[in-house]
Amino acid sequence: MKVTVKLFGGIKSDKEFQKNEEGNIIFEFSEPITLSQLIEFLKLNKKPFIVILNGIIINDLSTKIKESDEISLFPPIAGGRLF
Amino acid sequence: MKILRINMNEDAPVAKFEDLGDYQGLGGRAITSAIISKEVDPLCHPLSADNKLVIACGLLGGTAAAMSGRVSVGCKSPLTGGIKEANAGGQAGQVMGRLGIAAIVLEGKPKGEDTYKIYISKDGVKIEKDNTIKMLPNYELVEKMKKEFGEKIACVSIGPAGEMKLSGASVAITDMELRPTRHAGRGGVGAVMGSKGIKVIVLDDAGTTPRQPKDAEAFKDANKRFVAGLQKHPVTGQGLPAYGTNVLTNIINEVGAYPTYNFKEGRFAGARKISGEVEAELEKQRGGNPTHGCHRGCVIRCSGIYHDKDGNYLTKQPEYETVWALGGNCGIDDIDKIAMMDFLCDNYGVDTIEMGATIGVAMEAGLLKWGDADGAINLLHEIGKGSYLGRIIGNGAAFTGKAFGVERVPVVKGQALPAYDPRAIQGIGVTYATSPMGADHTAGYSIALNVLKTGGFVDPLKPEGQVDLSRNLQIATAFIDSTGMCLFIAFALLDQPDTNQALVDMINAFYGWNMKDTDVVEYGKKVLKFERDFNIRAGFTKQHDRLPRFFYKEPIPPHNTVFMVKDEELDQLFNW
Ligand code: SF4
Repeated sequence: MKVTVKLFGGIKSDKEFQKNEEGNIIFEFSEPITLSQLIEFLKLNKKPFIVILNGIIINDLSTKIKESDEISLFPPIAGGRLF
Repeated sequence: MKILRINMNEDAPVAKFEDLGDYQGLGGRAITSAIISKEVDPLCHPLSADNKLVIACGLLGGTAAAMSGRVSVGCKSPLTGGIKEANAGGQAGQVMGRLGIAAIVLEGKPKGEDTYKIYISKDGVKIEKDNTIKMLPNYELVEKMKKEFGEKIACVSIGPAGEMKLSGASVAITDMELRPTRHAGRGGVGAVMGSKGIKVIVLDDAGTTPRQPKDAEAFKDANKRFVAGLQKHPVTGQGLPAYGTNVLTNIINEVGAYPTYNFKEGRFAGARKISGEVEAELEKQRGGNPTHGCHRGCVIRCSGIYHDKDGNYLTKQPEYETVWALGGNCGIDDIDKIAMMDFLCDNYGVDTIEMGATIGVAMEAGLLKWGDADGAINLLHEIGKGSYLGRIIGNGAAFTGKAFGVERVPVVKGQALPAYDPRAIQGIGVTYATSPMGADHTAGYSIALNVLKTGGFVDPLKPEGQVDLSRNLQIATAFIDSTGMCLFIAFALLDQPDTNQALVDMINAFYGWNMKDTDVVEYGKKVLKFERDFNIRAGFTKQHDRLPRFFYKEPIPPHNTVFMVKDEELDQLFNW
């Protein structure tokens, strides 16, 4: 199975992964895994705070991922004020 | 602290200092909204002598409190026809506070076509006719003021758009480098300043000292706890300083709430190219600076300095909403061109959000193609030239939509929606619909809980809980906007009760008050009540507290949701 992992806001992985043309990680696995297992495999420099699975914010990291899923990981961030 | 009233009705304008009187205990948004609500005829024409423009520092303006330099600019808005408080950073708030001025109230209207400048120092107020500054863009104007009054001033000014009294015109405030980069952008406040014939207010705090607290020890201690709290929180201590507000581009895009092509889609293919991460990297490479405060005393420093390809100053770091409006919303993914547009908006004195939304509407009308950055830049130059087309654009999205017969116009109460689609983030839709300001994300920034998970989490795709969320945020925001504090402190306040307490302690120590949490809530409600009450008297009904119909009818990809909060629920927002 293959999923795409996008890292933002200074999150980086210590490991080498296959990447697509946009620079996102293509992560392959054979057994079904959860989001927290995926995050562990990735060996990230920072703990992700906001985890988005196919555009939905996920609070339960025991959620399983499946073929073609898109996972986006963010550290704590904010913004939004004008000027 | 005093109120400084400047009456432009007379043959020679008159300046008069007054005690705070009934306005004692009010600052920032509380005092601008109280004055407008009590003193301005809600049915007046916004550009008439009966309207007033109030420029106020916050309760803690001019003190040693960190983050306390924000300015509120209030009036009856020419864009919405309702009350307006537009909030800005920059140096003016601190300087006003040190000069002992809680609010400057511009009243009346001059008879002729002359342009005035006002100089305020500890020695008094000078009001002078100066037609050599007529129609100068903001940057040139400030250079001229520097030559005349020295480098230690702060300027509050309008560009040509304000002088032409366009509804998208902003009031510019200079930053620490004395550049006119911080704008009270929304609602056409610049047009009201223009209608008073006043081009610039120069504030000079030479020879003044910070305002002194009643209880100096307790104040110092509370300020220390407050700053430590901001530095400890991951958002105010790390996220905002590193990337600024534009770090939101990627996350709002990933959750499918990034309005693209005039609110047709929720994701933009070019988002990464214009994200805060890319912006910060470019700023470092080109000798700009991604971590910079918009005023002295800011410890978060979300702002930055943006240099062009040759390493020369171009503009301040464009904010997320600016990059969205003039970028993704128009299908533009060239960050340098967006930065150029940010500069042009600041220079001509127009609101970047309103202009981006307007250009999106112009693209919808077929006036130019989606993604045409040079065409968009030209449209902004038209405003500077004062051409008929420029005047249409400078009057905002609703006006431009009418001029070109466009149906899809993203406005509430005449003001353009900012950078978060209310179909994918339902909470912000409640704020857009109900805020007395018109569509304004800052009025109740639900994104904090709907997406960023500060202070909790409320599912953005469901209608449940959004009215309560928006109500609580609108109340808290009305209070923070009155203190002179930058709203960004809210990220730390929402998560850390002790930082929240430190802020209340600081105000209590300064004024000798005994405010509790419940008083903070009552304070916020009082401000909203002034505003809501003014709008009702100006003719606003519950039907004005709605989003444009297409948000209820057209699902937005990728989630294919519409705005689902019911009208009856929206009507409960102010029933507390
Ligand atoms: S956090 Fe940003 S907007 Fe707020 S005062 Fe500091 S620089 Fe200005």
